[in-house]
Amino acid sequence: MIAWCAAGDPTIPGYLQPALVLEYGRAADADDAALLRDTGLADALDPAALVSASQLLRLLANTLRALDSRDTSFMLGQQLLPGHDGAASHALVQAPTLRVLLETLCRWHARLTPLLRPRLETWDGVALLYWVDSHGAPGLRPALVEMHMTAVVALCRWLGGERLPWRFCFNRAAPRHVEQHHVHLGSDLRFDCQLDAMLIDAAWLDRPWPRGNGVAAGLAQAAAAAEPARPPGLPAALYDYLLERVRAAPTLERTALDFGVSPATLKRQLLRHHTHFQAELDQVRTHVALWLFQARRLDNEAAAAYLGFHDAANFRRSFKRWTGITPGPLRLALDAAL
Amino acid sequence: MTPLRTVRGEPFRPVRVSSTCHTPALPSAVVFRYRTAMPAFVRPFLVLACALAAFAALYASAGIPKPFASWHWMDIVDEGGTALMALVWCLIVLASRPDGRVTRLLAGGLACITLGSWADCLDEFWRIDKDALWDNALEGLVPLGMLVLTAGLTYWRREQALLADHLRKRERLFRSHRPFDRVTQLADADYLREQLRRTQGAVVLLDIDGFHRINREHGRAEGDRVLQAVAHMLLLNLRNDDLLCRYAGDRFAVLMPGFGADAAAEAARHLCAMVGAMRHHAGGRRVALGLRHDCAPTGDAPEILLADLCRRMDAA
Repeated sequence: MIAWCAAGDPTIPGYLQPALVLEYGRAADADDAALLRDTGLADALDPAALVSASQLLRLLANTLRALDSRDTSFMLGQQLLPGHDGAASHALVQAPTLRVLLETLCRWHARLTPLLRPRLETWDGVALLYWVDSHGAPGLRPALVEMHMTAVVALCRWLGGERLPWRFCFNRAAPRHVEQHHVHLGSDLRFDCQLDAMLIDAAWLDRPWPRGNGVAAGLAQAAAAAEPARPPGLPAALYDYLLERVRAAPTLERTALDFGVSPATLKRQLLRHHTHFQAELDQVRTHVALWLFQARRLDNEAAAAYLGFHDAANFRRSFKRWTGITPGPLRLALDAAL
Repeated sequence: MTPLRTVRGEPFRPVRVSSTCHTPALPSAVVFRYRTAMPAFVRPFLVLACALAAFAALYASAGIPKPFASWHWMDIVDEGGTALMALVWCLIVLASRPDGRVTRLLAGGLACITLGSWADCLDEFWRIDKDALWDNALEGLVPLGMLVLTAGLTYWRREQALLADHLRKRERLFRSHRPFDRVTQLADADYLREQLRRTQGAVVLLDIDGFHRINREHGRAEGDRVLQAVAHMLLLNLRNDDLLCRYAGDRFAVLMPGFGADAAAEAARHLCAMVGAMRHHAGGRRVALGLRHDCAPTGDAPEILLADLCRRMDAA
């Protein structure tokens, strides 16, 4: 059975990300009443108590609104990693190379970045780190992406001792506050892409870092692995599940069985996470199609066959429905971007 | 930032500085906050309310009530309304400004107008002997209040002139209701883009070297102090026509009207040298500060110009 947790389950220790957000808001003179409104959290946030992802999301939304400043998400990102989560955070700090760092981050994403799930893909000399929802927060998605990308960029810059030449794609239109992206992320930005991703030349993955310590990183990873695992959020778990079975036409019923709930419960839970099964499946298929175009250089015909479509025309129509554009122009845009 | 002083040395609160600035820009002795448990206008309001009640009691005891039929409703609404509105204005002034000479003159003038109009209004309910001096004196509060209010407005104008002078380098010719950056009190990137559209000259971007390390090693509050210190140093070395903005994060932008690329580069080198010569201390330890810079003449669309400059900064 697949391990997962609902956004309403208390899974995040209060002294980690919730304390970070609350302290940031307080340091900027926002009052507790505004920050904690509708979160169900007490004024004196108990550091040992567990907070649910939806409470954390609400706290974050309140903070963004109360501070009303363009750099809030970026400044929070600056402080998000490595975090204070014992062995997992320690493994990040000790990472000897970018590759180890990103793999550590992806492995313990439920602890290190509980709100967005990073995934790493590499092919043909390119490494791509992209972000999918962990708990379903469509309204906060742009801020979350800014926050998490800044976190990775800042951590790599700190550990690597230099600014890495990341390139960025955003699944949104160009915002007015692009200057924050320039300074906190970098100047190679592309908007209106189909996914939120950061790319870097794979040559950077294995350059040794000055502070890194492979042995210590290994020990910290082993210690983190020995600790009880924290389950990922439902959308993140579902994404992983669907990605693995994307060629086998997964259905809601079969998925519910594997997740240990009834189809009706799964439907209801997904609704609570502001999504539904078909939307998640379409998202996964979009991402796989992008990967097929870009990494495997497949044409429509072959991509359609890979994803189990009858013919290329069918696939083309579906793709247009998922993304709003047909594969042809998208391919050109991808070639320019990647 | 340094608290501004008004004409007579009265502490003046610039738009947001003292109440929201969360890290002192300068040693804490010169940063002051206006925060008390009770809003500042509650006490004057109570005094004023007592005075209004006392007036009513005075008229009730000294005058003969007029019959209901002979009340002049138009006069009652007119004079009572004036009293009420002047009271509201008085409270708005008290609630929105720190205590001081200008505030006291403005609020005092409005309070006098309130009381005078109130006395005038009470006249409509009670008949007072035409020769009673005290009644005329009370009604005389209205012109007196107008004089005091005028004096207050005169001082207020001088205070505004002083403030505008201080802000000139930060906002140049054009003012709009826009938020200052809360840490440095400088204009933001939106304002810069707005100004770039209407200015001929050059724009310089300045980046603090290793700023992320200061944030990691000394904490964000210390990072904010560095930003404030650098902003001060830059302001001190700019012409009156120049505009300093906080672009984002640790990146500043200076718009230099009338400058060519060479003159701007020369000015930028000077700014870097001045910041490089600063001695900044974080918790007793000296932190070396340095700036990188790049500049370009204005002319392109602001978005493209700034994106290009940023790209060059990153590549440098």
